[in-house]
Amino acid sequence: CANPRLLQRDTPEAFWSGRLALQVEDASAQSFSAGFELKGSARQGELALFTPLGGTLAVLSWQPGSAQMQADGKTRSFDSIDALVQQATGSVIPVAALFDWLAGRDTAVPGWRADLSRLADGRVQAHRSDPLPAADLRVVLER
Amino acid sequence: ACADGLESLENFVKTVKSGRADFTQVVTSPPKEGQAVRSKTSTGTFEFQRPSRFRFIYKKPFEQSIVADGQTLWLYDADLNQVTARRQSQVLGSTPAALIASAPDLRALQADFALQAAPDKDGLQWVVATPKAKDGQLQNVRIGFKAGDELAALEILDSFGQRSVMSFTKVEVNPSLPAENFQFKPPAGADVVRQ
Repeated sequence: CANPRLLQRDTPEAFWSGRLALQVEDASAQSFSAGFELKGSARQGELALFTPLGGTLAVLSWQPGSAQMQADGKTRSFDSIDALVQQATGSVIPVAALFDWLAGRDTAVPGWRADLSRLADGRVQAHRSDPLPAADLRVVLER
Repeated sequence: ACADGLESLENFVKTVKSGRADFTQVVTSPPKEGQAVRSKTSTGTFEFQRPSRFRFIYKKPFEQSIVADGQTLWLYDADLNQVTARRQSQVLGSTPAALIASAPDLRALQADFALQAAPDKDGLQWVVATPKAKDGQLQNVRIGFKAGDELAALEILDSFGQRSVMSFTKVEVNPSLPAENFQFKPPAGADVVRQ
């Protein structure tokens, strides 16, 4: 039978803001932390990344079939949000699943294990065991 | 003589070797049609010691510290339990903090920024600093001085149109600040990322 999750449903316009950090084991170059604003849905949305002092680092946006990154005065296009995030951060981060995780839905993502137990405190963590190197994603939502 | 913003900046860079102030920072998202403008307010303390040491300690709404010890720029986010360390030379040149804290004199500033006096506003004298690097993250930085070149405000407009206004209060000019204020030791258990 059809898996309901695959049915096309337009999730309501979401908006989250806070800070996120990716800690990649023995690959400091890929580790980073940034302020963020995530809005829209996995299908169509935007992720803005900020410096600690409030400047905008990059704005990633996507819609069905394409994704764009604006940074350093340039706009670059990609065919998917995952390809875009890999280019922007040098690492694999499941942005689509992030919408579900932040909404409290523990969507499964191959190679990732999410911990939503502290969502009430605005905290979400996820551990990536595949692809290697292993990495920890930590998200803190602003109250 | 009625010093304009540029003279205030020159006096400030020359005579104010160290400083401390409380800050309130309001970051406002760029106006986009169909979207309400959102703004976030944070507060904390700012200290600096020329030639290239400063620190921003954010207290509300979350704990974060940015410390420049002269060589390394340390960023610590308590909630994320992560410390990021970058070489100051790599990062500092065209960041607003460099304007206030680290430039030894105006000429050094003018290596990275075109400086221009701007009309008085809100009772302050202003200078507009436009980065010379074209594809940077900043459109311009406006520095506001109260009479007598006391630093009062820093307005940062980034290349996406996001505006960050930092207002300083309880400003102390040339306080003697302990050296360890500008040293950073990663807390035990925090992940340290060197880039």
